[in-house]
Order: sequence, then C-alpha cells, then structure tokens
Amino acid sequence: MTDAAMEISGTNRNDRFTRGSRLVDMLSKAGLLLAILAVVLYGSFSSPAFFTTGNLLNVLTSMSIVGIVVVGMTFVLVVGGLADLSVPATIACGAILSLGLQPMIGPVPAFVLAVALAGLIGLLNGVLVGYAGIKPIIATLGVGTIGLGIVQAAVGGVIVYGSNTASAEFAKGRLFGIPVVVLIFLVIALIGHFVLSRSFWGRWTLATGGNYNAAEASAVPVKAVKAGAFVITALASGISGGLLGLTLQSARPLIGSGYEFSAITAVVVGGVSIIGGFGSVPRAVAGLIFVQLLTNVMVLEGVRTPIQGFVLGILIVGAVGMDAALRKRGVA
Amino acid sequence: MTAVADCALDMRGISKMFPGVKALSNVNFAVKFGTVHAVVGENGAGKSTLMKVLNGSYAPTSGTIEVGGAEVRMRKPADAQALGIRMVHQEINLVPDLTVAENVYLGRMPGRWSYLRKGEMIRKAAAVLDELGAAINPRERLGNLSISQQQLVEIAKAYAAQPRIIVLDEPTSSLSEHETAALFRILRKMRDDGIAIIYISHRLKEVLEIADEVTVLRDGSMIETRPVEGITAGEMIRLMVGREVSNVFPKSVAEIGASVLRVERIGDGASFRDVSFDVRAGEILGLTGLVGAGRSEVARAIFGLSRIVEGTVSINGRKVVITSPSAAVRAGIAYVPEDRKGDGIVPGMSVRENISLPILRRLTSFGRIRSSADRSLSATYVKQFSISPPDGERRINLLSGGNQQKAVIAKWLAAKPAVLILDEPTRGVDVGAKAEIHHIIGQLVAGGMAVVMISSELPEILGVCDRVVVMRDGRASQSLTRAELSEERIMALATGEEAA
Repeated sequence: MTDAAMEISGTNRNDRFTRGSRLVDMLSKAGLLLAILAVVLYGSFSSPAFFTTGNLLNVLTSMSIVGIVVVGMTFVLVVGGLADLSVPATIACGAILSLGLQPMIGPVPAFVLAVALAGLIGLLNGVLVGYAGIKPIIATLGVGTIGLGIVQAAVGGVIVYGSNTASAEFAKGRLFGIPVVVLIFLVIALIGHFVLSRSFWGRWTLATGGNYNAAEASAVPVKAVKAGAFVITALASGISGGLLGLTLQSARPLIGSGYEFSAITAVVVGGVSIIGGFGSVPRAVAGLIFVQLLTNVMVLEGVRTPIQGFVLGILIVGAVGMDAALRKRGVA
Repeated sequence: MTAVADCALDMRGISKMFPGVKALSNVNFAVKFGTVHAVVGENGAGKSTLMKVLNGSYAPTSGTIEVGGAEVRMRKPADAQALGIRMVHQEINLVPDLTVAENVYLGRMPGRWSYLRKGEMIRKAAAVLDELGAAINPRERLGNLSISQQQLVEIAKAYAAQPRIIVLDEPTSSLSEHETAALFRILRKMRDDGIAIIYISHRLKEVLEIADEVTVLRDGSMIETRPVEGITAGEMIRLMVGREVSNVFPKSVAEIGASVLRVERIGDGASFRDVSFDVRAGEILGLTGLVGAGRSEVARAIFGLSRIVEGTVSINGRKVVITSPSAAVRAGIAYVPEDRKGDGIVPGMSVRENISLPILRRLTSFGRIRSSADRSLSATYVKQFSISPPDGERRINLLSGGNQQKAVIAKWLAAKPAVLILDEPTRGVDVGAKAEIHHIIGQLVAGGMAVVMISSELPEILGVCDRVVVMRDGRASQSLTRAELSEERIMALATGEEAA
C-alpha cells in the first residue's frame, strides 16, 4: 500500500513538463528573445554609441570568446554536472601555451597542443566527477588550481607574449567582414548544437542529466557521458583561451578569471536547468546574448561596476530561483 | 480497571482512499495498555498505511481514533508524538556523527536559552539505557555502534520520551537471534511498565513468542484480531493469504526450450548468497519472497548494476561476466526495474526518446541519430503495446503508470534480449493495464524469450509463472513447479516456517 501511495502522489504531482509549465516554458523561450529585443531598443535610444557597427562588433567579439565556453558549459549543466570551475585554468592553459610554445613548435602546433592539454585537465575533472563520484564544484576547483600551477611553472614567467604576427593577424582578422573569432564561435556553437540535439551522445547527455539511474539501467555509459561533458568544456575553454591569447598577444595566469561566472550566468539565464536533463545550445547562446548586451548597455550608460555586478547577480539568482520553482512543482 | 482506561488505542472504521486505490477499508484496531499487539499481513496488506494514519502522516478518509479513551485528530507526526505515540522504523533514523546521548535526546535536549545541560543529558541517557539493559556508553559516537546497537538506541530514544504507545516496524530484521532475545526482554519490560506496544513483523515465530494479541490485515481490511494463545503459524498464514485464487491471469501456452539464463551459487557479498536457478526459453520463472529478501538485489546484480562476487552466470550455456548494464545488454539480458520513476523512465524525455535509449547506437550513422529509424521504432511499439495516448512525442511522465510501464518494457524489446527480468512489473498499475502487461509477457515467451518475473503478489506469481523460486534472507529455495505450489506454501517458505 505504501507503493500505491507513492504511485498516486507521483502521478498527481504536476511535472515540470505538464501543460501549465509548458506555457511557462514557451514564455521563457519567447521571453528571452523579447528581453534581448528590449535591451537592443533601449540601448539604441539611450546611447548613440550602442547601435554602431564598431560597438556591436566589439560586443560580438568579446561575446564569442565567452560563447565558446558557454557551448561546453551547456553540456556540463545538462548532464547534471552543476558547473565547471576549472574554466579560468583551462583558458589560461590555452592562452599561455598557445603563445608560449610558439617559438618552439610554431603557432599551429602550439595552439593544438594547448587545446589538447586543456582537454587533459577536463579529462581529469571528468574522471574525478564521473568515475570517482567527487562533487563537481570541489573537483573542478581543485583540478583547476593544480592545472594552473603546472602551466605557470612550465612557462616560468608571469606574463607570456606572442611572437608570431601571422597568427595574431589571423585571430584579429575578418572573413567576409565578420571577425574570425565570431565565425569560429558560430561553427563551435553549431557543432555543439548538433551533438546535443541530434547525436546519440547528446541524447545520452540529456538522459543522464534527466535521470541518472534510469539512464544507467538503460545501458547508457553514464560515467563516460558525465566525464565527457567536462572534457568538452575543457576543450572549448582551451580553444577560447587560445583565441584570447592570440587576440591580446599576451597572456597572464589570471587571464581566464571571471569567465566561469560569465559562462554559467549565460547558460542559466538561457533557461538550462542547473540540475540537469534539460537545455540546449541555442537557449544558452540566447542567454549569453542577453547578458552581454545588457552589460554593454550598462557600460555605455556609465553604470558603475558594483551595480553591474549587482544586476548580473540578480539575474543569475532569479534564473536559478525560477528553475527551482519549476522543479518544485515538478519532478523533485 | 475499567474498559476505557484499559484501552490505549481504539481506531474505528478507518478507511484511507488514495485516488483510485482504497488502501484501508473500514479497519477496526484496538490495543490495550500493557500488551504487545502484533500486526501481520502480506506486503501491501495495509500495515504501513495503518501505522501512518496512527502516527499522523496520513489523515484517514473516514473513521475515528481514540487514544487513552479520548478522541483525537492528528494532522502531523508531531501531533502523534504529543499524544505519546512513538514509532521505531525499520531503517535507522539517527545521526551517525552525534553521540548516543545526543541522539536519544535529539530535538528535546535538556537546557534552556540554547545552553545545553550536557551532563544531565548524558546522565539521563545512561539511566534510560541502563533501564533497558542495553550496555551502551552514552558518550559513544553513534556511527561506531553496530546496527543492532543502533537499533537499541532507536528504541531507547522512543522509550526516553515516556510514550504511551510504541510502534515497532520489523525491529528484528537486522538483529541476530541473541540480539532478538535481548530486544524481547526490553519489550516485556516496557509492556510491564504499562506501555502499549504495536509490533509489526513478518516473522510469525517471533509474533507467537512475544505478542499477546495479533491482528491480521489483508488487502486493506482487518481480517481478525485474536489472542495469540491458541493460534498457530499455519492459521496466521491462512488468514493472511486466504482469498479465492480466481483465474484472472490467463497463462499463455509457450513451448519450453533449452536453458537460457543459468545462475549458479551467486552472491554479492552483502544482500544475497548461494542463489541458483535457471530459466528456459519460453518459460516464466517467478522470483518471490518478502520485501527485503534480496530479490531485486539478485536482478540488479545479474544486470550489472551491482557486483556479483561469487558464483557464475551463463547465457545459452556460455559463462558471461557482467560488469555493466551495457555488457548485460550485449550478453542478451534486459531488466525492467522495480522503481519505475526512479530507475525506469527519464521523465523529461518523450516516449520515443525513452524507448530508443538502450539501442541508440544502432539507430545512429556517423554519430547522428537517424530520426526516421527512431520514430518508426517507437511507432511500432506504441502500436504493438497499444500505449495510450498513441503519441510517441508525448513526454513519458504525462502517461499513466501502466502506459509508462509498457514503454519501459518496450524499450528493451528492441534490444532483442534472450532473457528479460521484470521487477514488480505490475506494481501500482490499474487492473486493465495489469492484464495488458501479462498479455505482453505471454507474447514474449511465446516468441521464445525467457522471462524472470519478480513479484510480491502471490496470485500473480501463481497465475503467471511456470516455476517459482522463493527467497528469504538472501537465500533462494529450490524452484517449485506450479503443481507443487500454493500461496500458503510460498508464505511458509518466505517466512521461514518451511525450510527452503
């Protein structure tokens, strides 16, 4: 009879995905687009500098660097991995190594090696989280600190400068009038979207985040899937860091700090569930666009930095709160 | 003493409806002060629901409750505690990192204004433990104690609250015989103090030993309350199961072939050992026993969700080593778990996505899921199993329990397993869906599949299975054919009245 009781309470409960919540779901999708539109309109009217090619290209470029991380972070959140806090370290790894190794092995191998080593950091995260069952926050924080230490020790100096002008020009250049960095971000976002929504790996990721035990009992290699999300994020951060280094032509160890927060904010504001099982790359990118445009408008308006932080903080707490509220009426 | 003062608890006409299910139907249950009153019944007979009504977790749909002669209304467990009703659950509900004394007085530690009178607390806890004859140091960290000692602390905690009524739910399930004897001494002492003790157990021998009265529940109804004196275990079993076995389970006739799954003396080092059975093509093997006997653990281990540390598993005569569910699927084993919500479905996904999950790789080319193959797979099973509504795109958690279960079974058929293990496949589904699921199982064995079905429901086991293995305390009986079986015999094996 206990079971009967459980059964009843289970079916009676409204789920995150019942019709009522679906309305909320649709609103949250359209809502974000409306919010982006509102920010654009407000920015255009309030600041003459906003709707200019120069400003928008600037926003787009800086957005793309975070955006590449956002694509990876989406996988971590969807798989139920909460957050990857080693992003600053993997970005630094990408930036420092892709510049620092240039004199020895040339720009392209340096970039590839930097990304591969960042991926290795992700693999370590993945093994600790997926296989050893350590909480993601702790595991990624620890691994990130270790990784950053090793990278710093390896290059010796504190700041690394670029020495290859051709690669710098490529990274800062444009193709058909669009900055190369933006194009790279678009390609990565498309690949990420394809993998998450069309490939078996993406389906496994959603299933693992949606119900780990059921996915495991459906012969999904849940541990590998969970680990994979962290590898994907680390590779993305490595690429992001490499591009950042090439654009700036200098890299210091703290080059990536703050990126983890920006990426998590974008993903969460985009409506990807922080508990996993639900979300997509386009949603996360929409969240990213909204947050970046809002920040840009605030900068142009001369809003002081503490207030900017305040606004972003409210955004992330609001988004997580909404997710929790939806959950409470739902599966939990 | 007058009759009124004598009566610790009088529950009258208690019914509890859940939407679509009547868990308790007009139950009368009275317990006197200074007695041990046993409650027995099969899994699902209504024991837990009745106790949840008694401790304020559930409000009864109808009926009255009197405690110590006064009618009461309880809305939450705290109300029951205020009336002097204490529950000791089967699972330990204590904080391992606190001391024994802190656990005994958790929530009502002596002291005021957040100043804790620690010395007094330890002294009082020591006195309670001493009174119960438990040799436990109140300063010891609880986590350092053995399970049986923790169980005693749990009882001491209830006793220290000076209750009028104590409910013990399967208190001996983790105790050795010696420890059980010690527990009984404590119970007798509490009884002599005038406390009313409600004792829930599957172990009929213990009921005969400790209880003064016994109440038998079956299918949510009170069957009988009798003095224990003069009753036998056999009589209790008859009262527990005594229902008409109607032929609501049409057994489809399948040709029985060669052995498909054979397990020999397997054990997991914890919840079961020395379990052997085999199941042949076209055969349904029932695995039954009381909850906690190790049935699900055996199934989960065979499917690779937990480790088998001893013994062998063979499929079609070949030994296999299963270390993960993927390996089990490759070997031809499929498993429909007991906890559908927890282990069976991915709630945010559609029926289609749930069905194709185990064989996703086969629907994939160059990493991309072929959506036409994905769709046609789910369409096939939605039609074949008449999953309702017939829409593969619907989120699975919006379906009824029975339809969810059909989808969970469907997801394994695409993998074409040689043996399908079903753990309580019809639990919590309505009668119609139950018949459909039995029909599906019948079709599968007719197609030559071997099926292992775990069920607590004896009529289902007897109606559907060709052979039955009964488990008790992690051990399995010989398999018995249908002809050798009756509900009484299964209960006797499950409760240990008949040696396996």
